[in-house]
Amino acid sequence: MKPLLTIENLHASIGDKEILRGIDLEIKAGEIHAIMGPNGSGKSTLSAVLAGRETFTVTEGSVTYDEHDLLALTPEERAWAGIFLGFQYPVEIPGVTNVNFMKAAVNEQRKQRGLEPLGAAQFLKLMREKMAYVEMDNSFSGRGVNVGFSGGEKKRNEIFQMAMLEPRLAILDETDSGLDVDALRIVASGVNKLKRPDNAFIVITHYQRLLDYIVPDVIHVLYKGRIIKTAGKELALEIEQKGYDWLIHESE
Amino acid sequence: MKANNLIYAPALKQEFRCRVPLKDARQVFLVNGTVQGAGAPLAFRLEEGEQLAQMLQIIAVRSAEGPRDLSFSESFHFSRGSAGRIILCAHTFSLDHFKTVEQTKITLEEGARAEFVVMQNEHNQADHETFYEITLAAGAVLDMVFLSLHGGSIRNHIEARLQGEHAACKLSGLYLTDGDQRMDYDIRLTHEVPDCHSNQIFKGILDDRGRAQFDGLIRVVPDAQKTEAYQANHNLLISDSAKAYTRPQLEIYADDVKCSHGATIGRLNPDELFYMRTRGIPAAEARVLQQMAFCNEVVDKITSPELRERMQVLVEKRLRGEFSRCQNCSKNCC
Repeated sequence: MKPLLTIENLHASIGDKEILRGIDLEIKAGEIHAIMGPNGSGKSTLSAVLAGRETFTVTEGSVTYDEHDLLALTPEERAWAGIFLGFQYPVEIPGVTNVNFMKAAVNEQRKQRGLEPLGAAQFLKLMREKMAYVEMDNSFSGRGVNVGFSGGEKKRNEIFQMAMLEPRLAILDETDSGLDVDALRIVASGVNKLKRPDNAFIVITHYQRLLDYIVPDVIHVLYKGRIIKTAGKELALEIEQKGYDWLIHESE
Repeated sequence: MKANNLIYAPALKQEFRCRVPLKDARQVFLVNGTVQGAGAPLAFRLEEGEQLAQMLQIIAVRSAEGPRDLSFSESFHFSRGSAGRIILCAHTFSLDHFKTVEQTKITLEEGARAEFVVMQNEHNQADHETFYEITLAAGAVLDMVFLSLHGGSIRNHIEARLQGEHAACKLSGLYLTDGDQRMDYDIRLTHEVPDCHSNQIFKGILDDRGRAQFDGLIRVVPDAQKTEAYQANHNLLISDSAKAYTRPQLEIYADDVKCSHGATIGRLNPDELFYMRTRGIPAAEARVLQQMAFCNEVVDKITSPELRERMQVLVEKRLRGEFSRCQNCSKNCC
């Protein structure tokens, strides 16, 4: 089977500061990859580059997604191709309601796939169904996107959006940060419900805690813009006990 | 003229009539400054305690049969304890070069309540200057929403005076310019007595070489204690060559008041834009959503749901670059 995503020797900078310094990664459909690493190692940059954030410049390397050059696509084209980024800090959009936001997103993606837009009733039914995935109250529909949401509500809203859009590759950037145990369980069970043999997840996290709920196939440790270690799920426990220092020493 | 005498004018060309008038409104046409059918300036009056159940939509049009330069006046008098809702739409009937000077007197006696929606939807050759003279007596409440959607040059001068205690005046406005359009608001609001409340929110989106100037003065005289007066002006620049000038001013001569003002000139938030694009919303559509959100703070002040929805449609079409005519009409009125 061909990989869904292949990253080769990826270098990216912001201004003249190089943050990603040669990333190689291969993800197949049906897999969950966790990316861990200390602060400032480039985890969020990697997710932003994959989603098409223009503040970063790719200086070297390639990213192939579903046999296409991902880096040639705009952020919206990547979304249409099935890529989803769950933000570490979801953006508040005052004045745009959750329901209008999702309607615009879902129907645009349907249009790009040659499908008819959903009617109002169908759409609201779908919203209700997916909100239940993350135990979100229906009253969130009419509120401004993420406006006045607590940290946990924002993260649940990310998972809700992911459930609505059914991506083939979801990148979750520290979705667990700022969550209490209950919210963590809700978010994780949302992800587990959406896992299918034909999609894949990249889960970026600081803590082993999340990986108790979302069990990864592979764990990568990112340090100074490079992957310094790739191993099975047991690596998370080792990191929890010993920290990152031993891995950093090992790699140097 | 009594409100009851203002009726839907049937003599007007078919194409110009709203095919679907607002359910809850009666219409009167003002052609080149005079009431159609009556030939006289508009002098609207509600008697003491009179409650106008339906909205009154005044459709003021300029037509090529009239003079190029026109100056006219109109008045709205709300007697003690009366209440009414007015929609004032300014349109042009042809694309000729028009220059219009309009003087509007709005008087609210004690305890009167009035809602106004002023919609200015003209064309690039139209030059429209308005002078609003507003007075509020004790306990009177005025809620006024201006929507300057289209026009070569629109200059609105608003002079509001709160003359009786516990009067409340809300002024909101939205202005949208593109091409070489220019829209100015010049507001002087005076608290002449204690215990009054005023609130102003004016927002503008400027594209191409569009320009806007906002001058807003809140004046609180020495004895007007316990005044509450707020003013905000926010501008969004869409292009590099659009320009907004804003001059919020407070002149306070009383010492026990709550007053604030704020003004901003900014651009669309790039984080919001990226967030929407990652969900598959194309950049151009995301920008329209952002601009609609910006406008809605003003459009939402319209209390009639039906009118508010129509105005949302007009504003959205305007932002999408379509000439903002609503689907109900072959002309630009609503």
